[in-house]
Amino acid sequence: MGYVAEDQDPFRAIADPGRRQMLDAMLDAERSVGELVGIVGLSQATVSQHLKVLRLAGLVAERREGRQRIYTARAAELRVVADWVAQYEAFWSDRLDRLGDLLDRGVQ
Amino acid sequence: MRDIVLSRVYPHPRARVWTCLTDADLLAAWLMPNDFRPEAGHAFTFRTTPAPGFDGIVRARVEEIVPPERLVIGWAGGGLDTRVTFVLTEVEEGTRLDFRQSGFRGLRAIIPRIALGSGWRGLLARKLPDVLSRMEG
Repeated sequence: MGYVAEDQDPFRAIADPGRRQMLDAMLDAERSVGELVGIVGLSQATVSQHLKVLRLAGLVAERREGRQRIYTARAAELRVVADWVAQYEAFWSDRLDRLGDLLDRGVQ
Repeated sequence: MRDIVLSRVYPHPRARVWTCLTDADLLAAWLMPNDFRPEAGHAFTFRTTPAPGFDGIVRARVEEIVPPERLVIGWAGGGLDTRVTFVLTEVEEGTRLDFRQSGFRGLRAIIPRIALGSGWRGLLARKLPDVLSRMEG
């Protein structure tokens, strides 16, 4: 795995509860900005800013429908997050084994 | 959601295992470089190599410390705010360490919804269920 630019980082994108709520809504159905404003109760400017972050992270797709932009969650991209939890578990398992090795070496 | 839960039995006295959990240098030797102090409320960091989604800094805090059996550390990093708990119990073979990381609330809102989606279900069928089975419940 390589580095991910900060503004493309999916984990940073989902760190905000408002953006998580928006993702939830967009997993249910396609949403316009206006619909998202109604669902999450944030200002249109804030929702637009959140959408920008989510789009840069690749978690949301945008299409035009007449004058409106319609947004959907790219669910497959969220898989990265699930993989990450598995990695965290592997990390701890490895570290607890290292603790055992340290104890076996007799470090005081 | 189920926490990450792991357990080990070390053939060593509990006091020694406790020292490895609560001495900053020893903690660094098996976990990560840190400025831990064994004081409730102490805020500190673990620092490691950055990775995708993680700047390499864990903002930590000693939430509970009960020598020589229980250590709870607030563990925030990578956009998540979690808690790790170490419990040491004397057993016949030495010391049992029960580890738990809890508080993956940031993910719960999203991941079960992914499992309910369609179209890409086949794509996720192999790996995701394992993770979900550990997280839910």
